[in-house]
Amino acid sequence: MLKRAFAWLDERFQLAGLIEFAKKKSVPVYRGSLWYYFGGVSLFLFIIQVLTGILLLFYYKADAGSAYESVHFLTSKVAFGWLIRSIHSWSANLMVLAVFIHMFSVFFTKGFRKPRELSWYSGMILLGLSLAFGFSGYLLPWNELAFFATKVGTEIVGVLPLIGKPMLVLLRGGEDVTGATLSRFFGFHVALFPGLFTVILSLHLLIIQRQGISEPESWKRLKESEKRTMPFFPNFAYRDLILWLIVLNVLAVLAVFFPWEIGKKADPFAPAPAGIRPEWYFMFMFQTLKFIPSKVLLIDGELLGILLFGIGGALWFFVPAWDAKTAKGERARLLSYLGIGVVAYIIVLTILGYALS
Amino acid sequence: MDNRMNLVRLIFYFVALETFCLAAPTPKWQQLDSSSSEKKVDQCISCHRDQEDKPALAYLNDVHYKKGISCADCHGGDRFAEEQDAGMNPAKGYIGKPKITDIPQMCGRCHGNTERMKGFGSSLPTTMVKEYLGSVHGEKLSTGDTDIAQCVTCHGIHNIKSVKDPSSPVYPTNIPKLCASCHGNAAYMKKYNPSLPVDQYQKYLTSVHGKLNARGDAKVATCVSCHNAHEIISSKFPKSSVYPLNVPETCNRCHGDGTYMKAYHIPTDQFEKYKASVHGKTLLEKKDVSAPACNSCHGNHGAAPPGVASISNVCGTCHSLNADLFSQSPHKTAFEKKNLPQCETCHGNHGVQPVSVAMLGVGKQAVCARCHSSNDKSKGFLVAAAMRSLTDSLMQEQDRARVALDEAERKGMEVEQAKFALKDVRQALIESQTTAHAADLEKFKAVVEKGMEIATNSKTEGEAAIHEYYFRRIGLGVATLIISLLTLTLYLKLKTKERMEQ
Repeated sequence: MLKRAFAWLDERFQLAGLIEFAKKKSVPVYRGSLWYYFGGVSLFLFIIQVLTGILLLFYYKADAGSAYESVHFLTSKVAFGWLIRSIHSWSANLMVLAVFIHMFSVFFTKGFRKPRELSWYSGMILLGLSLAFGFSGYLLPWNELAFFATKVGTEIVGVLPLIGKPMLVLLRGGEDVTGATLSRFFGFHVALFPGLFTVILSLHLLIIQRQGISEPESWKRLKESEKRTMPFFPNFAYRDLILWLIVLNVLAVLAVFFPWEIGKKADPFAPAPAGIRPEWYFMFMFQTLKFIPSKVLLIDGELLGILLFGIGGALWFFVPAWDAKTAKGERARLLSYLGIGVVAYIIVLTILGYALS
Repeated sequence: MDNRMNLVRLIFYFVALETFCLAAPTPKWQQLDSSSSEKKVDQCISCHRDQEDKPALAYLNDVHYKKGISCADCHGGDRFAEEQDAGMNPAKGYIGKPKITDIPQMCGRCHGNTERMKGFGSSLPTTMVKEYLGSVHGEKLSTGDTDIAQCVTCHGIHNIKSVKDPSSPVYPTNIPKLCASCHGNAAYMKKYNPSLPVDQYQKYLTSVHGKLNARGDAKVATCVSCHNAHEIISSKFPKSSVYPLNVPETCNRCHGDGTYMKAYHIPTDQFEKYKASVHGKTLLEKKDVSAPACNSCHGNHGAAPPGVASISNVCGTCHSLNADLFSQSPHKTAFEKKNLPQCETCHGNHGVQPVSVAMLGVGKQAVCARCHSSNDKSKGFLVAAAMRSLTDSLMQEQDRARVALDEAERKGMEVEQAKFALKDVRQALIESQTTAHAADLEKFKAVVEKGMEIATNSKTEGEAAIHEYYFRRIGLGVATLIISLLTLTLYLKLKTKERMEQ
């Protein structure tokens, strides 16, 4: 039966060629092989996000008057609603973490070098979209913490010269964070971002399939006899699947033992509560802005911080373009040290952000 | 003979007159001017008296005249000048009739100066003018309103008497009528506050205070006893002595003074009882001005103790539902027959305490048991016992629901709505306490059953949440086990495959 079905499809789509191609795909086996799996984990978590997000959509109402109530109803009255919401929230956080690890692993293994520049650029866009997913989704339950965090977050955008104010109005759907902001964020979160993400993710995966998995320079320098590989299908795929199942288990434990709280309903007229903070992945930037004095050499401190992050982010994004050493196949230790510095900075500032709040 | 007798009489009268004149104190206006050895005469009063000017004649009986205060002390000018032009010369400070708006300051020159008042041998307080200027009257005067009451409106102009003089308009028995001369005039009061009643005086006449005052009792409360004489402030302002929060203290100034009240033979512990009561605590401790003060039950201007027949009307002003239900109950007729005050019989008066479940039923603390004893096994006894039993059942169910919901909440389960619903049980309990006034078991049962249904539902939700909590953990255990087994199977398969490949 299966053979007949395959023959029917093969006749039309020439699948045998694809299978031959897949059979030839191999993954280098070396000390850092573990990092290869984080792309797959990110993909798995994205799939979970899509599935749980669709289920949440059945009950969620994107309206300032009923958003909180709909989430409350979902978690307290709908069968397994609490589980779906909790998995969606935890998986979102784990996905951002996985994407960050994936990005840094590619950076440190210099996986962005020629000819994989587009793979890097598309991956960086996917990272940006993952953060945008997190930022827009944070507001949707319309609770107190999310409301004020969104207010603070969008205010930061507003300090940019010239484009700041129009961007703030564009994001908020007006001068303030209101029901219009909620509708807008909902639109971004469930339509615009998933659409963009799917297109860019497809491109990202297509590039990887076309170019194969990046091999580290040190591995490439080995003699052919010393180069160990494993077939992508089924060995690497099996390992991927095992890791996905472990992640699923972790997700289930987190969702049951640490259900995502709904908090208090947002009251736009209430004063901002103490302890307003963004999601953990924005904490290093938030804390940096808090550390920068209000004026630095006549420049607004917040603006300076945003500009520095903007410049830093742009340099990071365009690393394949300016890193000459890696492009020539040379060891770029300085770049690695820079990467370590950035990782250390993010970790320290994030810890400080939580410790001081 | 008659002529001789007449002459003797004439001589006698002359001697008597001389003796009287020598014995009488010399008026101040005839006394020596300190700056001169000559005996100077106050020409103002001398002239105007001779001309029989009414103000001058009236002033001869004024308390100020007797203290040696001259016309010129208020009107200015030179009191000793013999010529009118010289005496009433503006250059010498003559102002003629003082401006109405200047009167308080003018009176205050002496009445606001303790040293000067001591010089006149007066011990009157010297804060009056300051108090007046901060009063509702003084504030209006400062805006230039010359129709508003100021010093002379109440005390008179040239015939001012001591407040202790019964002929003084500000003598206690004259005060109500004096205040009513403006406050009882609807046309006049409309100018200032159209919503302010103008029947205070009429009400006062019906009050215990008013009746005693009309009989000449100068000790009894008049308008100024509560509103103050000079520092009269609108009852809307917290500083006012008749602001709701201050009313109990104001009444207590007299009613709490055992010595002062001795002649009236009434208790003086009302304030102490009131302070400890639910009303007193709400008003004085929680500062809730909607809580009743003395005047809420006794009336203010028409203050009188409510009679037995009117108590339920008085309490019913606020507790209207309770009063309605009581009037439908068999207790109404029974209380009337026994001449028992309706609400007061069970709740007390000044010391009324918060209601508790203990008041209901046939236990030791139950008020029902004061009349319904177990010996007679009357219907009232049985109804009271049944009501208490129903209340206890509802409270127990409420406790069970609360325990279940608290436990569920501690376990991190979402039971907010059920907890909120539990508030309706409390509402049902309060409603049942109100319904108890009807002494109708069926009505009471209907209210309790409504609460019981909510309590049971809340309890069920709490228990379901606890069950769900354990279900989630068991579910997680099963799911984790399945996923782990699947992971292990895949791992073993992979290892087997890789071993075979080697």
